[in-house]
Amino acid sequence: MRPRVPGARWPWLVVLAGLALAPAVLPAYHLIFVAELACWGLFAVAFDLVFGYAGMLSFCQALFFGAGAYGVAYAIYFWNAGVWIAIALGVAAALALAVAVGFVAIRVSGHHFLITTIIVSVLVYLVLESGQWRWLTGGYSGRPFPTPVVDLGVARLSMQSEVVAYYFVVALALATFAGCVRLVRSPLGRAVACIRENELRARVVGFHVERARLAIFAAAGAVAGVSGALYSLLFRYTNLSFFEWTLSGKAVVWTVVGGAGTLVGPVLGTALYIVTAEVLSGYFRSFPIVFGILLIVMVIAAPRGVMGWLGGRGIR
Amino acid sequence: MLHALNGLVWGLITALIALGLSIIFGLLDIINVAHGELFMLGAVLAWYFLRYTDNFWLALVVVPVALALLGVIIERVVLRTIEEHAVRSIVATFGLGLILQESVRATFGATPQRIMPPIERTVTIFGFHYSVYRLFAAGVALAAILALFLYLHRTKFGTWMRAVRQDREMAVAMGIPAHLVFMATFGLGAGLAALGGVVATPITTVEFRIGLAVLPTTFIAVVIGGLGNLPGTAVAAVLLGEVEGIASAFVTPTTARVFSLLFMSAVLLIRPEGLFSRRAR
Repeated sequence: MRPRVPGARWPWLVVLAGLALAPAVLPAYHLIFVAELACWGLFAVAFDLVFGYAGMLSFCQALFFGAGAYGVAYAIYFWNAGVWIAIALGVAAALALAVAVGFVAIRVSGHHFLITTIIVSVLVYLVLESGQWRWLTGGYSGRPFPTPVVDLGVARLSMQSEVVAYYFVVALALATFAGCVRLVRSPLGRAVACIRENELRARVVGFHVERARLAIFAAAGAVAGVSGALYSLLFRYTNLSFFEWTLSGKAVVWTVVGGAGTLVGPVLGTALYIVTAEVLSGYFRSFPIVFGILLIVMVIAAPRGVMGWLGGRGIR
Repeated sequence: MLHALNGLVWGLITALIALGLSIIFGLLDIINVAHGELFMLGAVLAWYFLRYTDNFWLALVVVPVALALLGVIIERVVLRTIEEHAVRSIVATFGLGLILQESVRATFGATPQRIMPPIERTVTIFGFHYSVYRLFAAGVALAAILALFLYLHRTKFGTWMRAVRQDREMAVAMGIPAHLVFMATFGLGAGLAALGGVVATPITTVEFRIGLAVLPTTFIAVVIGGLGNLPGTAVAAVLLGEVEGIASAFVTPTTARVFSLLFMSAVLLIRPEGLFSRRAR
């Protein structure tokens, strides 16, 4: 879909080297912060898959993030599961939820898709928030679970160590990101881009539009599930606010700030957003006001986001 | 019966907000995520009026007009450059929402507040004591909705608004000042949301988060009623309020919410073009 830009490999190597060497220079607190950015960045990437590539404006990405996070917490708390099984369960939960939601939502398109996803978000949140589901969610702030141990076969490393937690989360996030890059270049990725550009033509050419939409929606749900799973492993913490539609809204903002349809853009957008918020909150008591102004300036000055500045060729 | 009345009152207030959202959405193609904040701002300003001047009637006039002016300024300064670009408008209005929310949190505080209604009498309807103020609130909302329809269909400017919505290029070619219409539309939408906020102040808790709470319902009403179908939007909002109100007589409020949302999803899937639209889009 995108012609390979010659020489575009070296920024990747720099980033990889930087991430690999970070524990040698950064203090523990900053390592965890970078790992957290990786989680949120991956979450924004999941949104970019459905919106930037498939053109479906989804407001329920947070559901899958939440499912991933709670899946992990549930597996460890009740079954004392290992890290890998816990992640698998979290992602499976997110995937199942995404297939169920997608099955309904892909039947409508455009603004109706947006509204359907909002309705589903609010619905699931309300149900989980109500008392009957406490046995599952463990109340508003979830259940604390013991420090997970990463079993690598040759060694068992406790995530108690910030360095282990950092490498574990960042490595898995990068691997998932690489999977997303593969996905958008796969036949499926091309098919959904084609459907986005011209649905009727795609149909006439013979693409199975609904199936492709459902597939990309489910895949993005699974990616969001991975990000949620990693986040809850990192902080040993779950919260019902993971399911709130406002979190889905943040993914939209991060992605647009970074540049939709680029996969790298959402990660940059997320990092820019969170780091700026962190810095501003140190200077102003009411920093969201300044922050809101910055967002507005950003969206007016850079229609294609950070990637537009960098000369990336985003899709919109 | 009581619940049906409550549902009606809230439904009409929601209809006000949803209509504002719908004209903005329909005309400018702006997904105004900050629309709930305009409602919240209306409620907060009305709370200040009640608290310090004890004159609710003044608030009923001044607050919507002031916020309509704010809306005009917002359209000119912020949204002019990104109109008809739905996704970027989400980010811009999200930023706007942050500004409004935080301004209120910094001045009004984060504690939810309540205030006594300006009319404290009750009447007996169907054997129930019912607050006169709530009936009055429903009346104001209904009157405003009717006034909006009259305005859109009986005045020159209203006709311009509908013309620009149907075919912008043709409207501009006919000499309609489209930019002026855009500013006025956003102002009108903001004013409607603010009026909803003012009217709702005495019957709800006032805090900086109520805008976020009301937003999903209004969006749902806009789409269920049929995009760009204003009467449909109003009816859908009232219907949402009613389903929720009546259901809450039998089950917990949360279950009632779930019930009304399920109902709405069913409508959306069976009639994606909206409950009250004749032609498919």
